[in-house]
Amino acid sequence: MTLGVLAVVPYAGVIAYAATREAAIAPVVVTIGVLGLLLLAFVLVRRVTEPFGWSIALGGLAYAIALVAHGTHVDEAAPLVGAGLLLSGELATWSLDARWPVAADRAVVVSRAVAIGGLCLAGLAAGALAVGLTSAPVGGGVAWTALGAAAAVLVVALAARLARR
Amino acid sequence: MTRFDSPRLPVYGGLAAIGLLAGLTLGRVELVAVAAPFALACAVGAALARDPELSADFELTRERALEDEEVAATLTLSSPVGADRVDVYLPLPEELEARGRNPRAVRLAASEPRPLELTLSCGRWGAFGLGPALVRASDRLGFHFWETSVGEKQSLRVYPSVETLHTMLAPLEAQVFVGNQVSRERSDGIEFADLREWEPGDRVRSINWRASARRGDLWVNQQHPERNTDVVLFLDTFTDVRNGGRGTFDATVRAATSLAHRYLQRKDRVGVVSFGGFLSWLLPASGTQQLYRLVDSLLQMDVVLSFASKGIDVLPPRTLPPKALVLAITPLLDARSAAALLDLRARGFDLVVIEVSPVPFVRPGRGELADVSYRLWRLSRESLRLRYEQAGVPVVEWEDGEALEVVLEEVTAFRRYARPVRA
Repeated sequence: MTLGVLAVVPYAGVIAYAATREAAIAPVVVTIGVLGLLLLAFVLVRRVTEPFGWSIALGGLAYAIALVAHGTHVDEAAPLVGAGLLLSGELATWSLDARWPVAADRAVVVSRAVAIGGLCLAGLAAGALAVGLTSAPVGGGVAWTALGAAAAVLVVALAARLARR
Repeated sequence: MTRFDSPRLPVYGGLAAIGLLAGLTLGRVELVAVAAPFALACAVGAALARDPELSADFELTRERALEDEEVAATLTLSSPVGADRVDVYLPLPEELEARGRNPRAVRLAASEPRPLELTLSCGRWGAFGLGPALVRASDRLGFHFWETSVGEKQSLRVYPSVETLHTMLAPLEAQVFVGNQVSRERSDGIEFADLREWEPGDRVRSINWRASARRGDLWVNQQHPERNTDVVLFLDTFTDVRNGGRGTFDATVRAATSLAHRYLQRKDRVGVVSFGGFLSWLLPASGTQQLYRLVDSLLQMDVVLSFASKGIDVLPPRTLPPKALVLAITPLLDARSAAALLDLRARGFDLVVIEVSPVPFVRPGRGELADVSYRLWRLSRESLRLRYEQAGVPVVEWEDGEALEVVLEEVTAFRRYARPVRA
């Protein structure tokens, strides 16, 4: 129960932040965000895992719409959004794992909490690195675009392989 | 070990891929920054995938226990590479209750065996197989799982608790072997029986000098010899009425164990017949070995639903030796066992019926019709009891929680005043 509530908090924070980005598009962002939030609540209450990915995706979509509508200015809080969504997903999964009454040793609980915290902080750092690199004077061009496309293809391939397992 | 991955891994991979592609397409680094934590989670997940190669030893402190006693079970887990989380669950039959955490999750260090102790409370008699334990290991973030069962299967026999009995039912006729039962016959023994006139061959020590002096002729004492008896415990296993974890079959087995224990202590020969859907028997014998054999046989018994018509004819003749005292322990619910008992009586067996009352386990329905049917059922049971009594068979009602000795005393009182009618 506690984990479920904790999972909703960062998600709601991301939606609130996205809604405040651009007032004109706020109703659309809120609608999509609330839909994702309801989906997440459904996942946590009914203990079903299938809509879990959709709820996180809707959170990301709400932020992406607000981002595009806001203009070309770089949003420096984007790494926080990514880390927030990841934290929400990890806490929701932990909550789902705890649906069976298994008495866990304190060391097991602490270990997972530390691991989730570490993963989110590392994700935050990775996102900040990506944002920071945009201001670095490394130039641009076809080579960088090709490298980015290759990275994207690699990630897609990885996702496809994970999905096939 | 069977490995499977968390369903969120492909979700994270998909989200990272969509974010990166969208960022590339729209030229927005923010979307890449949002996707980066998910891509990192996938990479971390792949790095954490490591088979823990779990192994375990499972043992019980003892193989035999009595009802309401506790047995300690120890499962020692080990892994050469360690595991961040291992969920352990020992499946238990409902008769055994775990005092402690089951299931539980522990952390396992590399090459360091970890003993997990669990105290089992034996709530009901029975023969149980415990183990193997089910384990599920996972990495720290729960991205990958490995499931298997570990430990050898261990057997645990929980014997029914034995009630101390002081009063025992004496049979109408004893057997020819030496025992503790004072026979009705007259022969050499300890208990004085009667006087008779001296006959050639009588020993001088048996002459009753006081009686001889009074009567002016030689009179000798006669004694009752100490003999053993054959006792057959006839258990009705056609039906079981249960309510709240207790039932007529449990009481039947407990009573049979107590009676067998006490009769075997008296050097009598005891056999058992389970008359029900599944027919089983144990020929009468004496001694401690027979007690263990008999209790083991009782532990294997169960109520099996059957519609096959059965009579005494299906039993091998040696299971019911002549002059045996047949103690029938029955809830008197099945017509087949009721008829079989009357048949036994008709064949001249010394029969006693201990009725394990199902009434405390039956909840009367609500409404007038249910009330009438409940009363009719009670009346039909009364009628059946009367039929037994008319046949000279003592029938005593034994309710759950009542001392068995009280019931045996009732039978003794019945037999003191009623005499069997021989055809």
